Amino acid sequence: MPTATEVKKRTVRINGCVAAAQAAKYADVDVITAYPIRPYTATMMALAQMVANGELDAEYIVADSEHSQLSIAHGAASSGARVFTGSSGVGVQFAYELYSPISGSRMPVQMMIADRTLDPPGDFGSEHTDALSTRDMGWLMGWSCDAQEAFDNHLMAYRIGEDPRVLLPQMVCQDGFFVSHITSDVELPDSGQVKEFLPPYKHPYPLDPRHPVSHGPQIMPEQGPPLQLERARAMEDSMAVIEQVHDEFANIFGRRYDPWIEEFMTDGAEVVFFLQGAHAVTARFAIQHMRDKGLKVGLVRLRTIRPYPTDRVKEVLSKFKVVGVVETNMGLGSVSSGGVLYSEVCAALYESQQRPLVVSFMAGMGGEAIVMKEFYWMTQKMMEAQKQGKIEKRTHWVGFEE
Amino acid sequence: MSTKGTKIPERLKIPFAGITPAPTQEKGQDLFPTGNWRSIRPVYRDKLPPCNNACGTNEKIQGYLDLVKRGKYLDAYALIKEDMPFPSVTGRVCYHPCEQACNRGKYDEAISIRAVERFLGDLGQALARDVVKAGTPNGKKVAVVGSGPAGHSAAYQLARLGYKVTILEKSPKAGGLNRGGIPDWVLPQHVLDREIERLVEIGVTIKTNVEVGKDVTWDELKKNYDACVLAVGLTEPNSVRAEGENKDGVLYGLPFLRDIGMGTSKVKVGARVAVIGGGNTAIDCAREALRQGAVEVTMITVESNPQEMPAVPEDLHDMVEEGVELMHGRTVTAVLGNGRIEALQLHPARFSGAINASPITVDKEAKAERFAVDNVIIAVGQRASLGWLPDEFKTERGTIKIDRFGRLGDTNFFAAGDIVQLGSGQPLMVVNAVGDGKRVAFNLDKVLRGQALEPRTVPVDVLFDLNRMNMTYFPHFPRVQQTLLPAASRRKTQEEVIQAYSEEQAVEEASRCFSCGTCNACDNCYLVCPEPCIVRDVRSNGLYKILVDYCKGCRVCIEECPTGCLEGVPELDFDTGVVRMDTAFAVSPGLHGRQAEELKNLGDRAAKNI
Repeated sequence: MPTATEVKKRTVRINGCVAAAQAAKYADVDVITAYPIRPYTATMMALAQMVANGELDAEYIVADSEHSQLSIAHGAASSGARVFTGSSGVGVQFAYELYSPISGSRMPVQMMIADRTLDPPGDFGSEHTDALSTRDMGWLMGWSCDAQEAFDNHLMAYRIGEDPRVLLPQMVCQDGFFVSHITSDVELPDSGQVKEFLPPYKHPYPLDPRHPVSHGPQIMPEQGPPLQLERARAMEDSMAVIEQVHDEFANIFGRRYDPWIEEFMTDGAEVVFFLQGAHAVTARFAIQHMRDKGLKVGLVRLRTIRPYPTDRVKEVLSKFKVVGVVETNMGLGSVSSGGVLYSEVCAALYESQQRPLVVSFMAGMGGEAIVMKEFYWMTQKMMEAQKQGKIEKRTHWVGFEE
Repeated sequence: MSTKGTKIPERLKIPFAGITPAPTQEKGQDLFPTGNWRSIRPVYRDKLPPCNNACGTNEKIQGYLDLVKRGKYLDAYALIKEDMPFPSVTGRVCYHPCEQACNRGKYDEAISIRAVERFLGDLGQALARDVVKAGTPNGKKVAVVGSGPAGHSAAYQLARLGYKVTILEKSPKAGGLNRGGIPDWVLPQHVLDREIERLVEIGVTIKTNVEVGKDVTWDELKKNYDACVLAVGLTEPNSVRAEGENKDGVLYGLPFLRDIGMGTSKVKVGARVAVIGGGNTAIDCAREALRQGAVEVTMITVESNPQEMPAVPEDLHDMVEEGVELMHGRTVTAVLGNGRIEALQLHPARFSGAINASPITVDKEAKAERFAVDNVIIAVGQRASLGWLPDEFKTERGTIKIDRFGRLGDTNFFAAGDIVQLGSGQPLMVVNAVGDGKRVAFNLDKVLRGQALEPRTVPVDVLFDLNRMNMTYFPHFPRVQQTLLPAASRRKTQEEVIQAYSEEQAVEEASRCFSCGTCNACDNCYLVCPEPCIVRDVRSNGLYKILVDYCKGCRVCIEECPTGCLEGVPELDFDTGVVRMDTAFAVSPGLHGRQAEELKNLGDRAAKNI
């Protein structure tokens, strides 16, 4: 197995797309399969250059669609390769058929998502609906909020997904543009550190003509439930692995993330934002300003949505009076008639003895930036609800209301 | 009801549910200025093509090849005339350093630039009126001593600048080395005559039979003219210092050619001729000797093989094809005969240094060879005759002492051409003399206008590396060969050996140009941009614009630019064109770092709404 060239730790100024490509290079992936769609394309462009320059020894396969792309990824993983793929927006949707088979056959394929709004018509701003629509397909899933976190999440996802207790594919998501295309300083590790953290991938039953095994044959209905049960068990078991891997990552690389939730200025907070991904950057900044003015507002950022940390969400959010869910996704006709994150939050809180009010905000839709004053506006809505003791309505369309 | 109380702002109104405005700049793209995505900005930056850089007078070669390709011959001719007064001459005689530098040479075969230049030069010759005009007269008089390539070039540029130029020429006919050093079968006299007519047409006076030091003195030049350009060339042949070199039948290269060129030759060569020397003049002498009636011509060189000879390989090849024999590793130590040459005494010899201008070591111990000949032509370089020049301006190597601007001390005298370039390491060739004449003319102009002479400090980016271009756009394609007269027939005539390109051939050859590093309006960027972010009004070089509000920096145009004139420049290098937003993505010192100050106030500004 060829290994990546030895490199020393260094800080580089790159965007999220290139950070993801760098992570794949450090992970010394064996097979890369690409099909272009903005904004994730820049990742594949960077990888193509690495392969062409001889920095990375990998098979680089350009598929004829996302469906083929994921099929190739599935096949390559079945033969025991460490696979890297990715997509954006409707590209994620076109490969939908493959998501369940890949997780069902327990292939730890890694997929980079740089979010793009689903059509119509051709809006390429970030909206999380593309990846979130596959959230129940058995893939580990979470969002990064900057390029460094994206790099780290990609490395950790391989380690978690390939753990024999887990063996599940991973979607490592980042917002299009806000993470994928904004350049920031990223610390790239020593190759020795990665070697220590991420052992070579070894599937227990790879496709191999010398040791024939069956992958994904037609089965009797009664054979289905055990497979589903095993997949559910793997999802649950992954939670302990995720925590362990985050600890080890912190010990080796010196950056510690809470695997599930980031709390920002929640001490003494009464109203909090609950969101995923890049808009946390602006939210933190807005919250600092509001805190300076004495407003009791904080931020809870969900880092991993699959597996969903139900108990942790319940425990954290029960401390507050009002939770404002910033959706950045579409759930047409959903529980809140807004996004899909609202129902995840409410379901976790149902068993709480001390339920906060929950309100959903449709903001950052179509890839619009959520600007500072919109965070102020949302805070105002939450504070009004706190004062009234009830919400005005479940979902607000930010920017379209007075 | 989540949508209760919502209202779509007027500026975002849609015509009908599910129908969005057409993506025009007014209604579509303006909604999402994606320029904010960009970390690399495409910038058009023309580099210097290696041909232009290598040319002794920096002709805009890529430029005129591009114009020829488009059929704009007159524009191409006008462009070449900026730097080169006589493309019809250099199109025939130039040793084309441009072709040696041509990037295409590393790929398949260099562009036949000289042949295209000749095509343009001949086109210029056929024009009833030249495109070049004299400058507005400035009332100042300049003398140019010598009408060879350097003098011709200086006079030409000075006339274009508005000077009243008088050329003083020692010989009965103007042309200098162009006439006296180049045989007719390379450069027919009528071609040169026409170029000299052109010079007269722009107001240059040519006085022949005027020799500096004899007919006009240094002091007279100083008194009668505002300034003077000395382009006297190298007129005296070097000797080989062989015993008996003064015998009848011993000829010298340049005078041999010069007398034939001027029509004053009284020489009748014998059947067996030896030529001493391995350079281009020696080759011309050998080939001329055939045309003058010699039957056996042998070239005797100190160099031990043809590759070492300081000659243009094509000319060497054509000479051998015409039947000239080569004899290497020898030198003449004596001319034998009784009053008249009968034979040469040859000894083994080699250059004692690494280069062929170094002293010669002769092996006198070895047995001498006797080589019977009727004539010998010695062509081992020339030197200057500078008796008329004040001693303070003479160098040790027998040339004129100048500063780096070609000026003699703080006088208004300038010098150009072989007379300053001999021994400077620069190869002596017509095009270098032309370039020298041109530069000196511009420097002279500055001095007479009281401007300071300053060396150019802007670094030039010459594109040598094929990796900086996208070679997938350039299929391999062979060079269009110029036809030659058959070797057997041409060795007896004065007809031009190399034939001109037809129009089709010139266009075909010009189309092979890579346009290294320079926009040639190929339209590729305009076509490959996935968004309409590259605009142009007309398809013309350098008229493409990047819409920075929308360009995401995807690099497709940069990667797909065939010529490499498009470069990716980090967005951080720019002060303008970054789309600003009311978000906090600029808190780390990244792409939008310079917005950090603004962001500090942003919080307060927006907080007024609370």
